[in-house]
Amino acid sequence: MARYPTEPLKCWAKAKELRNEWYRDFQEAHDKGGLRVMGSAWAFDAVPLGLGRDVHWVTGEPYGASCAFDKPLSAKFLSAAENFGFARDLCAYMRNYWGSIICDKYAFGGGFPKADFAYSQHICCSHAKWYQNACELEGGNVPFFGIDVGVGPCLPFAPKHYPHRIKYVADQLLDSIDWMEKVTGREYNDELFFEAAWNDIRSTHTWAKICMLNRNIPAPLDEKTIYSLYVFGTLQKSNGKFADFYENDLLPEVQDRVDRGIAAVPNERVRIMTDTQPPWGFLSIYRYLEKWGVVSIGSLYTFGLEGMWLYDKENNDLIPRPLPEKKPETREEACTMLADWHLTKPEYQHYYSPEYKTMMMDAIAKKWKVDAITLHYNRGCEGLSVGIAENRLGLLKRGHKVLTYEGNMGDEREFDKEGVKRRFDIFMDGMGLKKLEDD
Amino acid sequence: MIEQFKQWYDKRHVYAREWKERNGGKIVGFFCTYAPEEIFYAFDVLPVRVLGSHEPQDVTEPHIFGMFCPFCRDVLAQGLKGRYDYLDGIMIAQSCLHLRQAFTSWEIHKNPGWSYFLPMPNHVQSKRAIPFLKEEYKLLIEKLEELTGKKITDDDLRRGIKIMNRARQVMKDIYEFRKREAPPITGAESMYMTCAQFFTHATEFAEVAEKVLVELETRKLDRDPGKRIMLVGSENDDIEYINMIEHLGEQESVGCTLVVEDHCTTTRYFWDLVDESIDDPLDAIATRYVNRTACPTKDWPQRTRLKRILELAKDFNVDGAIIVQQKFCDPHETDIPFIRKFLEENDIPTYFLEFDVTVPAGPFAIRTEAFLEQLGMEDDLF
Amino acid sequence: MIVAGIDCGAKNTKTVIMNDKKLLGKGMALTGFDQDKAVEKSLADALDEAGLKIDDIEAIGSTGAGMEDIKDAKVKVNEIKAMAKAANFFFPNARTVTDVGAEMGRAAKINEEGKVEDFAINEKCAAGAGAFIEAMARALEVDLEEMGPMANTSEMAIPMNAQCAIFAESEVVGLIHAKTKKKDISKAIHDAMASRIVSMIRKIGVNKDIVMIGGVGLNPGFVESMRRELDLEKIFIPEDPAYSSAIGAALLTLEEA
Repeated sequence: MARYPTEPLKCWAKAKELRNEWYRDFQEAHDKGGLRVMGSAWAFDAVPLGLGRDVHWVTGEPYGASCAFDKPLSAKFLSAAENFGFARDLCAYMRNYWGSIICDKYAFGGGFPKADFAYSQHICCSHAKWYQNACELEGGNVPFFGIDVGVGPCLPFAPKHYPHRIKYVADQLLDSIDWMEKVTGREYNDELFFEAAWNDIRSTHTWAKICMLNRNIPAPLDEKTIYSLYVFGTLQKSNGKFADFYENDLLPEVQDRVDRGIAAVPNERVRIMTDTQPPWGFLSIYRYLEKWGVVSIGSLYTFGLEGMWLYDKENNDLIPRPLPEKKPETREEACTMLADWHLTKPEYQHYYSPEYKTMMMDAIAKKWKVDAITLHYNRGCEGLSVGIAENRLGLLKRGHKVLTYEGNMGDEREFDKEGVKRRFDIFMDGMGLKKLEDD
Repeated sequence: MIEQFKQWYDKRHVYAREWKERNGGKIVGFFCTYAPEEIFYAFDVLPVRVLGSHEPQDVTEPHIFGMFCPFCRDVLAQGLKGRYDYLDGIMIAQSCLHLRQAFTSWEIHKNPGWSYFLPMPNHVQSKRAIPFLKEEYKLLIEKLEELTGKKITDDDLRRGIKIMNRARQVMKDIYEFRKREAPPITGAESMYMTCAQFFTHATEFAEVAEKVLVELETRKLDRDPGKRIMLVGSENDDIEYINMIEHLGEQESVGCTLVVEDHCTTTRYFWDLVDESIDDPLDAIATRYVNRTACPTKDWPQRTRLKRILELAKDFNVDGAIIVQQKFCDPHETDIPFIRKFLEENDIPTYFLEFDVTVPAGPFAIRTEAFLEQLGMEDDLF
Repeated sequence: MIVAGIDCGAKNTKTVIMNDKKLLGKGMALTGFDQDKAVEKSLADALDEAGLKIDDIEAIGSTGAGMEDIKDAKVKVNEIKAMAKAANFFFPNARTVTDVGAEMGRAAKINEEGKVEDFAINEKCAAGAGAFIEAMARALEVDLEEMGPMANTSEMAIPMNAQCAIFAESEVVGLIHAKTKKKDISKAIHDAMASRIVSMIRKIGVNKDIVMIGGVGLNPGFVESMRRELDLEKIFIPEDPAYSSAIGAALLTLEEA
């Protein structure tokens, strides 16, 4: 017998259509005289939008995940990258992406649409190298601008929110605008930029608010569903349609589920949280967990990759970062505001110490009422698995039950599905749980 | 005289402890060559680089996930095993994430009471990098004031610059000898020298190195230099490997001499001097570290390394390049296909080897020998 | 109550017959490709030794990789639970237990009741100690049984990297070419393997009462390398360590059936 009522998300179809339309827009951008930009999901994607309403993005991480979802296609891309000479342990998204270019095949049909320029950011060892190499693989004539965001941690992990650190990032953003004007020959429209910057802030703020609702028991969203929804932030957080979707469709609907006690997993008995990207080709693992009545309520990854939060040290809590008091009115203001906003990204902080991430994870575990934590030792992403072994130790020290498993977000050859299921069996058994009878 | 460097390399901890006893000064361990040692010298603090010991170990598994490079685990093992217990502080300047984990785990479990992460900019090709780094240096100076209880002046910084530049210059002068047809110094000897820089006070190092410089004028090695080899790649102080390839000629038909490298244990570390004509010493130091030969993780949007590696290859007249990759080293893995392509296009044959904490000497000898033979055959064509 | 515990491992299937906490018989068969046959044979051998018939068995408990496929098993126990139970049964002082078998290594932190608090399983690209030492014995052209005792006569410490069997083998070949004595190579092999298992144990935490079960516990060279690597005076090893998990399964069957 189910404990809670459940029902599908009403906005599901709209979400799917928005996503497909976005990938199509990138593909067809040139037909309408528009521009194509490629870059990381963490790029300041609002900035190129000042070049016009016909600027369309493709972001490498969700693109790589889409490839990974299609195992035969991904295998082709990965081997193309390896044949070119790239090591197998490099970022799996990146190898899928490079493989797409080498094979000239777009995961959504047709040839790989060549970007007019690349615009990205750099915090892990590979971010800027990804696009430097993508441009080279495209024939060497795609220009690239990278923004360095590796400026150290933010409050409360640093003693101060140092103005010179924000300025360094903001100044690079300003430089990038001049650069874009030069490489595209277009005149930059600040009004469009301000609008895009605000959409970015609005969508990342709203996403955090949506995640807050998952504190509820039963959880209105399970993480497998969250993956399909957080993706808009990774696709293009500055996209007005996406910001509107979060604000006008998703947030009210999730609130309504909370009000009516609608559960994502009707047998919710145990709440877990995860970490890092999942093995995209094996999301069925989440369905397997439901057999124990396990719901994954999310992770620092799904909450904080494209959601903006502040860690409250005093209360060991994670709270959505409040919107800035006013919208930006000058180019400098907009650049500074974006730099400041994004430098507080939860997923940037662990680059400087695993302790920061452990603190935030501990806060999620406690405030979202989690019973156990699973950590995906993700061989496919150096950036998000950096320090993960220390996170394990830190969480154990704080009294949490922790299970680790190895895998790869985008290279199925490195995931042992049966072995991982076995691990979960042992772990659940250790927690005194019995598998629920199949319905 | 060269023997001294081997001794410093082998007995790095003995040197450090003795230095501390002699001078009563503080020692800070740094994890990456982007650490501005000039500033430490300005405070009379001895900066020493933490390198691994090339021994298999089993203490880092709980701390670093297995897909990170063996070098970073080897480095952390040194800390966990207490080999650097004499340190008064540890610091890292931002470079790769691998090594940063060795630092952060060390910071959590073996913190000597002072630790610092310096956000060395990644976008070194941006005009914004130098002013940013200068501001960061000011924060580092505040931290060093806490460590030492001292204040420093611009003149102290200039003194730090001079100390470092002197050591760098003498190493560059020594490398000039490696350009000779029959280099009077082997690659292994040279590697002992460049790495000894990490473990000794730069002035003491320079004093002995300057004597070597004089000695090299007349030194002759009783060996056939064979093929002239360059090493390009990740962190590498695997002297056992270098020794082995430089001895191949004793048993095999073809031997070689390592004449130059692009490693952070060698040229990337010392090649670039601080411009002493820049008035503000912090400006001068920041300029040096931003413009120095880049680690691949900072070498974008332009891949400036290509030109520089080719220059070294030409200046040292190399016959072939061995591309050395530390297993799992992401920064180098993103550059290697392009470096190989570029060198091959410029008629420099390349060979790829993946290094771990220990190298399987036998198989690597066979592979290197095969590469040297291939270089020999190319000669025959002309 | 008479129960059977069957541990269906990747290489061998082990069966024990117990009457309450008393061991009556044991049997072992190569798992091979026909698991049912292996179960049948090991069970028949165990019954033989116990002087019992199949009908005398009141309940069967299974564990190991193939446990789900043992049709007659009333109680299915995961391998971590089984090894924890066995360790606690033989050595109530045990707080860490490791199972080193042919194809895999496992470790668990347990409490005074033998309940699992945390566990680790060797990840991919980390073959078990047994198979690894066997492969290296072939490279050395030495009988497997000789490997361990031979290693214990060596006093050399040669660093070897055992992250990957293929690389390790090329290191072994290199050492053979360098005319290194076989006993020294054998010790290096055991040290390398032990270092990997110890790495895994360190993940869950080391304490001084460590129990080792699994067939590799019979290899004195490996045990000595483990002891040295862990810097302990002794490692606790039950009699017939290969059967420990089967015993753990039988004991849990007594409790649960």
